[in-house]
Amino acid sequence: MSKQEQIRTMDRVNATLKQRYGRERRFRRFGFFAVLLGLTFVGLMFLSIISKGYSAFQQTRILMDIEFTESIIDPAGEREYAVLSSANYAGLIKQSLRALYPEVKGRKEKRELYAIVSNGAPLVLREKVLADPALIGTRTQLWLPADDDIDMLIKGHIDRTVPESERRIKDNVVAWIEKLEADQKIEKFFNLTFLTGGDSREPELAGIGGAVMGSLYTLIITLLLSFPMGVAAAVYLEEFAPRNRWTDLVEVNINNLAAVPSIVFGLLGLAVFINFFGLPRSAPLVGGMVLTLMTLPTIIIASRAALKAVPPSIREAALGVGASKMQAVFHHVLPLSMPGMLTGTIIGMAQALGETAPLLMIGMVAFIVDIPGGAMDPATVLPVQIFLWADSPERAFMEKTSAAIMVLLGFLIVMNVLAVILRKRFERRW
Amino acid sequence: MLSVTPDTAIAVPASVIAAGFSPVADESRAINGTVGDITVADPRMTARNVNVYYGDKLAINNVSLDIGKNEVVAMIGPSGCGKSTFLRCLNRMNDTIDICRVEGEIRLDEQDIYDSSLDVVPLRAQVGMVFQKPNPFPKSIYDNVAYGPRIHGLTSSKSELDDIVEESLLKAGLWDEVKDRLDETGTGLSGGQQQRLCIARTIAVAPEVILMDEPCSALDPIATARVEELIDELREQYTIAIVTHSMQQAARVSQRTAYFHLGELVEVGKTDDIFTNPRHRLTEDYITGRFG
Amino acid sequence: MNKMTDGHIVSSYNKDLNHLHQLVIQLKDLACKQVLEAAHSLIEEDVDVAKTVIVGDRDIDALDIKADEEIIRLIAKRQPVARDLREIMTVAKIVGDLERIGDQARRLAHLTIRFYDGDANPPNHHLLDDLIKMAGFVNLMVEDAVSAFDELDLELALDVIRRDGVVGDDFRSALRRLSTFIMEDSRSVGHMVDVVLGLRALERIGGHAKNISRYVVFLVKGKDVRHESLEQVEAEIARRQ
Repeated sequence: MSKQEQIRTMDRVNATLKQRYGRERRFRRFGFFAVLLGLTFVGLMFLSIISKGYSAFQQTRILMDIEFTESIIDPAGEREYAVLSSANYAGLIKQSLRALYPEVKGRKEKRELYAIVSNGAPLVLREKVLADPALIGTRTQLWLPADDDIDMLIKGHIDRTVPESERRIKDNVVAWIEKLEADQKIEKFFNLTFLTGGDSREPELAGIGGAVMGSLYTLIITLLLSFPMGVAAAVYLEEFAPRNRWTDLVEVNINNLAAVPSIVFGLLGLAVFINFFGLPRSAPLVGGMVLTLMTLPTIIIASRAALKAVPPSIREAALGVGASKMQAVFHHVLPLSMPGMLTGTIIGMAQALGETAPLLMIGMVAFIVDIPGGAMDPATVLPVQIFLWADSPERAFMEKTSAAIMVLLGFLIVMNVLAVILRKRFERRW
Repeated sequence: MLSVTPDTAIAVPASVIAAGFSPVADESRAINGTVGDITVADPRMTARNVNVYYGDKLAINNVSLDIGKNEVVAMIGPSGCGKSTFLRCLNRMNDTIDICRVEGEIRLDEQDIYDSSLDVVPLRAQVGMVFQKPNPFPKSIYDNVAYGPRIHGLTSSKSELDDIVEESLLKAGLWDEVKDRLDETGTGLSGGQQQRLCIARTIAVAPEVILMDEPCSALDPIATARVEELIDELREQYTIAIVTHSMQQAARVSQRTAYFHLGELVEVGKTDDIFTNPRHRLTEDYITGRFG
Repeated sequence: MNKMTDGHIVSSYNKDLNHLHQLVIQLKDLACKQVLEAAHSLIEEDVDVAKTVIVGDRDIDALDIKADEEIIRLIAKRQPVARDLREIMTVAKIVGDLERIGDQARRLAHLTIRFYDGDANPPNHHLLDDLIKMAGFVNLMVEDAVSAFDELDLELALDVIRRDGVVGDDFRSALRRLSTFIMEDSRSVGHMVDVVLGLRALERIGGHAKNISRYVVFLVKGKDVRHESLEQVEAEIARRQ
């Protein structure tokens, strides 16, 4: 190439250079903004959920003087369980309220007064008396949960400045509460009930405990069923199955199953497990089985990928010293691919934890107050609980919904972080 | 036995032809038989008329070769010539490939290794293999060497196993380098050490024959020299067949050399002869770097 | 180009080998020229030519060293095997023989100087007849031996080996003839010894030509026939590969 030609080439290169760099810069900026946009939406979502939901972790309680009058609780004085458990504890509270506000006279006003304390408050008293019958006849100061409207008022979700007709709480009630506030007899406490309690029609008594337990049982069933089955299927398909049209067909179907809408699995579960096998509705057992169907393809695909990632040289090494195929797989290949399999399983479990649709089909959407004690008890799961609460009209359920979402997200984040840690920790490069 | 086919090794001038020489005009004609003596006085493994098919494709065509006791046989040839395939037939590693089919007869001390009654697991204990890429298990150095004896139940006590591990590492020339860190993972060693660890792992099950599939292709020259020295030492106790891309290596380590071309065994003979005066044109072209 | 050295995938290898081959031809040309000129100086009683022959031997030595360097470099760089290795080894040996042929030519030139430089009595020209005749004969042997190497001509190589026998016979008959001269005139003994030494040098050149031919057999056949009889060499050449 002559010198002149060389110069011309360089000119041409230089002429387009600016354009080329410009293109690269634009592309980078575009990608950066895309990421930024995504992060913004995630941030907004978290902000909105947390700002709405954090208050659900607090509960307003009222300090009350309770006189455990023997004549009301146990007139016979025999301390029988049946008598104690069915005694009129609400009466005690009413009695205390009347003492607190002697000026309240009318029937309607009295009813409004009694309503500032939660319907669950008598249950608290009952628990206390049953635990320690010696309380009867004594007088104690107790923090009792307030009604959800009062709770909302204290948390500032109800505006006291708007006209009386536009808010849920009448002026006289506001006046009583303000008197309590002045006496420092109304306080916000950490809401343990929310974490441990079952569902309830009363927002101040509703908790996610039942749903968490339901989710736990469901996931345990899912894990117990899907992990061994998924890993076994993956190992068989990857290591032992002959390559022919049938295994190809199976492979294609597994990949397709992973893309099937989850509600279809719910229908399948309803038809097969409940209608055909007669398993109980709303049970975590059935839920777990349905979610197993849904998670299995994910686990199989992830496990096969993990098995494929183990270099063939390891298999050859084992076979070369005389290990049988089975020994090569179980001594070397499987342990090496286990982190990948576990990662896939955790991701699958996280998916299952957030799944709602198939569980609706098998009746896990029922209103269940009791905390399930086993896989056969009727139960609901966290996302379904969120779905139920989001449907409820009470203002107080709104914050419960957000709080439950926070708990669910917390679990999901923990599981995903676990998966990432597992991958990082045991990742192996060949 | 196979006849030795006459062939022109080099260009013969017209005057020689005129003087009554009859060189083979068509080179391909000589391929039907192997040049040189495929037999040895004291064979350990004998392969006769071996054909290997991958699906419909013929990968190895009618190869017969003896591997003698305490000798190193080097197999050389261009890529895809079937030398690795043939090597892997010798301990039935080709069984792991579904579409691979082996015909003919391969014997290890008179036992037909493709006999349907023969179990491949003990065969592979007798005929060990070292691979191209060092492939230690991602376990400790000790466990790497102990794996074979463990699965075959060769030892009854921990101290016996310790002895085998030490002896194998000694034979592999690795003991002094690793004796203080047997618990460390085998993959943490250098490439050359890893390959010697793999050799130690192979000899821990006391094989009779060791097959090596390009054992030095991933190693630097010094590590290669170490492994070659080791091969030379191992020859005293084992029978070794080695596939290599390096002709120099074949020349250095082997006593006999077999040249494969397009699935056929073209020539086999003493390494000294092959590298100074090969008899087949193809062999000569390949080893002198003329292969087109 | 030479078939022996061609056809490598690495073309610079071809070039190196060809270069080496050409060095041999060059060296042969030089050595033959020296032998012819030394013989010529004897006939023509030309002391100056004899002196240029003596000086010219340094060129041969330089070429010899150059060839050796090339060979060492080639072995180090290319690690030759099979026919490349044989080619290189053959070249190394041929070069050595050619260098010694050059030395013998120098001896012949010294003879001219001894005879004709100064005022000593020049020898009777009849004494030199055998020398002249033999010089032409061995020179042709060297030419043929190297051309056998160049063309890988085994027949020619065999012919040169056979001719070496003729040289031996000629040498012995020349000695006999010379001894009759001494009987006639014992004063010529001094010249006679010199002539015998010259004949001996030419006989050695023939021997070197024979060696070169035997290397050619090794080069083509891969079998070293340096110390074997003519019959054995013939059998080896006739043996089909």
